[in-house]
Amino acid sequence: MRGKDVRLEDVVMRFGDFTAVQKTSLKINAGEFFSVLGPSGCGKTTILRMVSGFIEPTEGSVFIGEDNMRGLGPARRPTALIFQNLALFPLMSNWENVAFGLEARGIDRKTRRNRAFELLALVGLQGHEEKTPAELSGGQKQRVAIARALAVEPAVLLLDEPLSALDLKLRQYMRAELKEIQRKTGVTFIFITHDQGEALTMSDRIAVMKAGVVEQVDTVDNIYANPKTPFVATFVGENNVLQGKVAQADKEYAVVETSQGPLRGLNQDGLSAGETAMLFVRPERTVLVNGVIPDNSFEAHFERRDLEGAYVNLFFKTDAGPFIVHEANRGRHGDLAGAAKVGFNAGDAIVMRPGEVDNE
Amino acid sequence: MTATTSDSAVTVAAGAPAPAGRRAGTEWSEVILKIYIGVFFLYLFAPLLVMSLAAFNAYEYPSVTQWRGWTLKWFGELAEDDRILQGIVNSVIVAVGVIGISLPLGLSGAFILTRLQSRFNNVLYATLVSPLLMPGIILGISTLIFWGRVNVSGGLLLTILAQASFIASYSMLLFMARLQRQDRVLEEAALDLGASSFFMFRRITLPFLMPTILTAAVIAFLQSIENYNTTVFAIGGDWTLVTEIGSRFRFGLSPVINVIGVLFVIVTVAAATLYTIQKERERKRKAALK
Repeated sequence: MRGKDVRLEDVVMRFGDFTAVQKTSLKINAGEFFSVLGPSGCGKTTILRMVSGFIEPTEGSVFIGEDNMRGLGPARRPTALIFQNLALFPLMSNWENVAFGLEARGIDRKTRRNRAFELLALVGLQGHEEKTPAELSGGQKQRVAIARALAVEPAVLLLDEPLSALDLKLRQYMRAELKEIQRKTGVTFIFITHDQGEALTMSDRIAVMKAGVVEQVDTVDNIYANPKTPFVATFVGENNVLQGKVAQADKEYAVVETSQGPLRGLNQDGLSAGETAMLFVRPERTVLVNGVIPDNSFEAHFERRDLEGAYVNLFFKTDAGPFIVHEANRGRHGDLAGAAKVGFNAGDAIVMRPGEVDNE
Repeated sequence: MTATTSDSAVTVAAGAPAPAGRRAGTEWSEVILKIYIGVFFLYLFAPLLVMSLAAFNAYEYPSVTQWRGWTLKWFGELAEDDRILQGIVNSVIVAVGVIGISLPLGLSGAFILTRLQSRFNNVLYATLVSPLLMPGIILGISTLIFWGRVNVSGGLLLTILAQASFIASYSMLLFMARLQRQDRVLEEAALDLGASSFFMFRRITLPFLMPTILTAAVIAFLQSIENYNTTVFAIGGDWTLVTEIGSRFRFGLSPVINVIGVLFVIVTVAAATLYTIQKERERKRKAALK
């Protein structure tokens, strides 16, 4: 099995008056684990259905490898889809489920039975071949669905939030499992999810979507460390937001005049003095000031703390909104009360043109 | 049919007595309930009993009051009654034909109504169900007139067409109920795995519909066999068992008719018993698996 690359070229998808996906171009590399991440209704499932062939884009084209997919239905594309509810065939045994794609291709019973048994062994389900899906646990059903999709030797495997129905422990286990299967088979994985943790742990690259627009396509590290828009900055991971007007700016840094005083951060969007701006800083890049004074610091009102064990989240209230400090637990937060000084370095903060943030 | 009715009566009876109390009031209500159930079963089965007894009475009219001794001669007469025997054969031919037309038509209608979300769905639904509300006589007469225009005259074929015109609606309702419960994602999954529409239908949709196909066939069979008022207009010079019995009413009945009744009761009870035993076995097998 070898993966193929997938290209969306100027793709637009409209349903009547509603535009589900705005003009988008995207290249997913062969053999890559690629995630499309976004809140529900952002158009990520529409992208998946365009690639799998259940819908045709209103404008633009989908290419898989060298081939334009226009006019090809789901049965004729080198893709396989793992559905959110798995969609296992309840009236067939597990091996018949896995062999279904081969049966549709007219492969004889003995060959497809052997192949199905091999694949069920690959996903660790020896001994369950003759059972029906109803007799399996949630995680086992998941594996049957994966084996069934792999049986047709797809170049691209599409996964539509397949882990969302599982409990937390199993979900974490299946993440590693999926990643391992992807590595073993070399198939291109396109994974649709609204769970940023899932996307970060498994993917090579991520596309973050909001309201039909792809906001950023980048490696996992860059999505987290260098978000390009306020939405990406707040949807992926936690972020503190401070709003204000740019007081002074050069190529590298900008100083934003906020309710907490002037704060300096990386001038990512090349803003100049007078423009409104949002400054983002991750909780783990902030400190409770104690001795060494960072580039930026200000007084904030301490509200409460959440002890996570090794780490602690300190919640402050400022005139600019809530501010979270995430620190290693060094046993010095116990008697915190009233006003305290918090801060961060300019290199850890990003100044951006204002935009919609994720409020969840 | 008899078996189904008594089944539901048993369910009602079993559901009714609340946890038994010791107060006199409760006992009285239980006595009344038992009497009621007794009367109910009497009402249900007394006619069948009378009818069956008359089949064994050595008297030339169906009667139990004029008892002339036990006999099996009416069974012998039935075996020699060619018109009745031919009637049974005709009834089965018609019923099979009705199944052959009603099931595909009903399934098509159900597919259109459940799959195509048209704004004419309500009108279409009303149209397709309306034969059920139409008096059977009108269906029979209008079938005769309509097909007469294209030179198809009364007979078994026309009877099949006339009966199918309303029995197809029953099939459609059954198929609709089943299709509405179907998980459409399964069909998408099949297509995604490379199945053609036909392969998908054969391997996914048809197996899902199979229990309903059997139910619809049984119901169509029973509806067809027992139908009189539509059939009587469409049958022309031919006859089915039911129209033959109907026409004999005019000249007075013979206990041969009762013999047919007895045989039908036996067949029905036997079929229902076998079905129940089969279900019970399946249930035990499933319980054993777990």
